[in-house]
Amino acid sequence: MSEPSSMAVDWAAGLPLMAGPYFVGLYQPSPETVGFWDGVKHSELRLKYCAHCSRMLHPKRIICTDCGTTDLAWRTAKGLGQVYSFSEIHRAAAREFAASVPYTVGVVALAEGVHLFTRFIADPGPIVIGAPARVDFRVLEQGHLMPVFLVGAV
Amino acid sequence: MTTDIGSRIAIVGIGRALAHRDDAERKTPLQLGATAAAQALREAGIRRDQVGALFTGRTPQSYMVLQYNQSLLNELKIGPTFNTEVTAHGGGALGTLQLGALALHAGVIDYALCVTNEASGIWMDQVHSNAAWEGDLQFEAPYGASTPSLYAQFACRYMHEYGITPAMCAKVSVENRNWALHHPNAAMRGRGPITVEDVLASRMIASPLRLLDCAVWYPGGIATAMVLTRADRAKDHARATWLAGWGQCSTHEWVGERMNSWGYAPIENGPDLIGTGAGVSAQQAYAMSGLTPKDIDIAQSSAPFSFANLMMLEELGFCGRGEGGDFVVGGGIDFDGGLPFNTMGGYLSFGQVAQGLYNLHEVVQQMYGEAEGFQVPNVNAGIVHGHGGPLACHSVMIVSKEPVR
Repeated sequence: MSEPSSMAVDWAAGLPLMAGPYFVGLYQPSPETVGFWDGVKHSELRLKYCAHCSRMLHPKRIICTDCGTTDLAWRTAKGLGQVYSFSEIHRAAAREFAASVPYTVGVVALAEGVHLFTRFIADPGPIVIGAPARVDFRVLEQGHLMPVFLVGAV
Repeated sequence: MTTDIGSRIAIVGIGRALAHRDDAERKTPLQLGATAAAQALREAGIRRDQVGALFTGRTPQSYMVLQYNQSLLNELKIGPTFNTEVTAHGGGALGTLQLGALALHAGVIDYALCVTNEASGIWMDQVHSNAAWEGDLQFEAPYGASTPSLYAQFACRYMHEYGITPAMCAKVSVENRNWALHHPNAAMRGRGPITVEDVLASRMIASPLRLLDCAVWYPGGIATAMVLTRADRAKDHARATWLAGWGQCSTHEWVGERMNSWGYAPIENGPDLIGTGAGVSAQQAYAMSGLTPKDIDIAQSSAPFSFANLMMLEELGFCGRGEGGDFVVGGGIDFDGGLPFNTMGGYLSFGQVAQGLYNLHEVVQQMYGEAEGFQVPNVNAGIVHGHGGPLACHSVMIVSKEPVR
């Protein structure tokens, strides 16, 4: 795992987010996801867990999708999964990303049954549907430390 | 589900205001909305005090105020007794008519005014700002997700699971352009026809989507307004077209969340990125109207990418699931002889703005025999699909020249 840079924005502190050159004005992260970003800071990929249903859930969940309980706990995921879908971006979403093109974003299907939107990095590649992926943590173009997935042999 | 509302509500006034970003006066969406509304009220021949309801689609991004409806009703000097903004992304545009129809059918009002308007093409850098609206700010935007890359997640799976090829998708771009060449206001009219090879040779934006697979932002603003009333009053008006049937279905917010959602149509059995709420909406609309896809003379979709138009042709019932590619390659939407589809040029060649209520306006004008572009002969029934939020929210409206129930 790469070392978090001192340049990294501390998500858990709730800094305002710029989307490209535009201030969007929403508080980020939301209280229910602070634990996720705290995990990222410690190079851990955390998901929500419902003990009643023995089910892992997306880190944003406030209630269990199955039983409706708000009694959800953080649990560290293995960080392994497969490429579910992807897109290689040739025209950047915002100026900060322009120097990185082409880069690939997509959906990773985690071993725990949760899907996350992410950045895929061919390491060693190739990035194709079904390819194995493992988590890493990188400071991305806007200065945020983010979980990313390295695609290829695990 | 009761369906006795089909063909009971009529459109008795339509209005549209259109501005270009290079016009001497840079128009705001409020200016355009008020202009279109006044035009629709004039055509309907009703007084301001007869407007019982005002429904607008999502607040224009280029006129971000809280309570946009109040700004508009204040300008129109109307005092509606039922007044709200209908969100559901681009699905809210047709949603305004659905809400109007319900209020009219319940008898709590006699006339509903529905308005959508936007002038982002005049006031905003949409290419660089839109991703901020389409992606989750914590879990998607920081990865550099552009709007095309969010839709591309659906394209990736749709093409993978059904064997859809880029050339099949490109055929949509080609036929949309053919219609746009006939429309005086189409964004891409002056660019001439394109071929499948042109699409496949255009630069990659977000794989598998190339430049000519993507919608063009309309280089200006458009407002559309409709006045609705019940059948008992429709006979008092010079002309009317009928809301034969309609439906709506929303499944999620954010692409990543879509993959963590399940348990309801169309994702009853687990998450996927291939079936959308458009199919559910269309089934509702057909059932309400009593019509089938064979009865449809003209179809419009707000799908902003070529592949998504193939998906929508399937979901609107013009071919089976996964058959959209074969359908268009076989001439299904050919300008010459196919289903008249996206007859202004669609989002790909007419341009995208203001949630797409102008697509319904186009169908009504075609029924009146007053198309601005190519006039399709004998349009008796048409279907319009509105959507937004990376295939998240869908509305379908079937309109007919005469009541069909």
